[in-house]
Amino acid sequence: MQRFEFLGRFSRNRGALVGACLILVVALMAAFASVFFPTDPLRIVGMPELWPGEDPEFPLGTDSLGRDILSMIVHGARATLLIGLFASAVATLIGVSVGAAAGYFGGWVDEIGMRVAELFQTIPNLIFVLTIVVILGSTLTNIVIAIGIVSWTPIARMTRAEFLSLRDREFVQACRSMGMSDLRIIVSEILPNALPPVIVLSSLVVAGAILFESAVSFLGLGDPNVASWGRLVGDGRQLIRSSWYICAIPGIAIMITVLCLNLVGDGLNDALNPKLRDR
Amino acid sequence: MSLLSLKDVRVQFNTSGGVVRAVNGVSLDLAVGETLGLVGESGCGKSTLGKAIMKLVPVAGGEIVVEGVDIAPLNREQLTDMRRKVQMIFQDPYGSLNPRSTVGRSVAQPMVLAGWKANATAERVETLLRWVGLPSDAKQRYPHEFSGGQRQRIGIARALALSPKLIICDEPVSALDVSVRAQVINLLEDLKSQFGVSYLFISHDLSVVEHIADRVAVMYLGMLFEVGGRDQIWRDPRHPYTKALLAAAPIANPKLARARQRTVLQGELPSPLNPPPGCPFNSRCPLAQDRCRAEKPVLRPVGNGAQAACHFV
Repeated sequence: MQRFEFLGRFSRNRGALVGACLILVVALMAAFASVFFPTDPLRIVGMPELWPGEDPEFPLGTDSLGRDILSMIVHGARATLLIGLFASAVATLIGVSVGAAAGYFGGWVDEIGMRVAELFQTIPNLIFVLTIVVILGSTLTNIVIAIGIVSWTPIARMTRAEFLSLRDREFVQACRSMGMSDLRIIVSEILPNALPPVIVLSSLVVAGAILFESAVSFLGLGDPNVASWGRLVGDGRQLIRSSWYICAIPGIAIMITVLCLNLVGDGLNDALNPKLRDR
Repeated sequence: MSLLSLKDVRVQFNTSGGVVRAVNGVSLDLAVGETLGLVGESGCGKSTLGKAIMKLVPVAGGEIVVEGVDIAPLNREQLTDMRRKVQMIFQDPYGSLNPRSTVGRSVAQPMVLAGWKANATAERVETLLRWVGLPSDAKQRYPHEFSGGQRQRIGIARALALSPKLIICDEPVSALDVSVRAQVINLLEDLKSQFGVSYLFISHDLSVVEHIADRVAVMYLGMLFEVGGRDQIWRDPRHPYTKALLAAAPIANPKLARARQRTVLQGELPSPLNPPPGCPFNSRCPLAQDRCRAEKPVLRPVGNGAQAACHFV
């Protein structure tokens, strides 16, 4: 029952529906990348700098080294989506933990948690990501962790606000009057009620994480073994005057994916927070 | 031995405006099988007292003795035993159930926490729902599918789960329609005669308290003004505040209503941040004299079996 209601509310937002469908296409692309293009996407397969449509074998053309751009886009979808999802998962994990503790316990726990969050917020995000990546080294895992570390603060604030409003509700008092432990109250009673707005925020962090990763890769600090979209843009930048499509095609892919993720976030917001919908 | 015995219980909150003494030295006894009505205006501390007994708010001083054990200094683990004996029904039937838990899960929680086996728990949930008059398919449904009265029954089922000896009812019918109110009160009375459970019945609704309580305690600004049998309090109130409180309650019979003498209180409830010195009622009391502004009265027997805290009764 509740499932169907949720889907109904979600699909009433047309933009979200379109966004979800396109994300699904990208996800399928990512999942079946090695079926469509079984060979290594970073292998040189043809003439360099073939424009899209010039050679039917390479519909999106080739880059400066003669690698198939379509193959790299399809394989890059995997890396890009995974980075987005895992970075968002890291951010959500940190944010929810800090926010839940701060909101539930209040007092000095709240003070410390929120001061630390403010500390993270004062550092410009991109600089912070670059610093962490430079210190830890340019591997995929480190980039994911770095993005997670800079993106958790809004999630922590949102979780804290939800916990503040929920912790004194009577059902929580009822649990306390039964002698339930704090951890159990937080995880099994308050968290399910606090999650909907947090899920919305997490879906937006996925989009933000993809942009961060693109920026890192564009600046040449990405993982050299991974063909993410951001790296394709970065690789093409020397040729941006002559063969601008090498940058533009992965750039458009990033743009569409991020746009769709934002649309999905809006749709989730409508579906999960029905009270706010008609605002 | 009384089931519950409060000795000089104090609860205070530190706010930005200063210290609020929400409960300021309350002493009270509740016998086995008894229903004690706790009445008073909004903000007088009656709910806070109920929460203090449940240890939901920190107790600043005094003793809360449940079956001979002072629970005031105990921590969460040590309270497990007391949790089984004392349970609570909350005021707001919309807020007291987790909206994302099924009714079955909410009612089963006390058993789960007590470490019951899954099938024993499920059986107990069925029994409890039957006792409170809910269909057994209620357990798969969510709270929002129920009416206020039904939700209050769910709350009652949860409070009954581990067969408590005392249930603290914090305004259990205030949020309900008048028609549903009677049903819930009758349910509480049935459960009392069936299981011998005692109630501390907190309410500002005098007609409800008159109906359900054996004894009544009247509270004002964190302290008790009068304690006595229901009939004594209703027929022969001694404390000027009790008199005014009872006079303010509507009477259904217009002839009686016109005939009675009314003492109408002047002024507002003083701010608990800054209560008047001496007797907290002195700013509104028709009998107030200099002594009331200097000396705080204590509960003492007033002849008819009741106790009142006033210098001039």
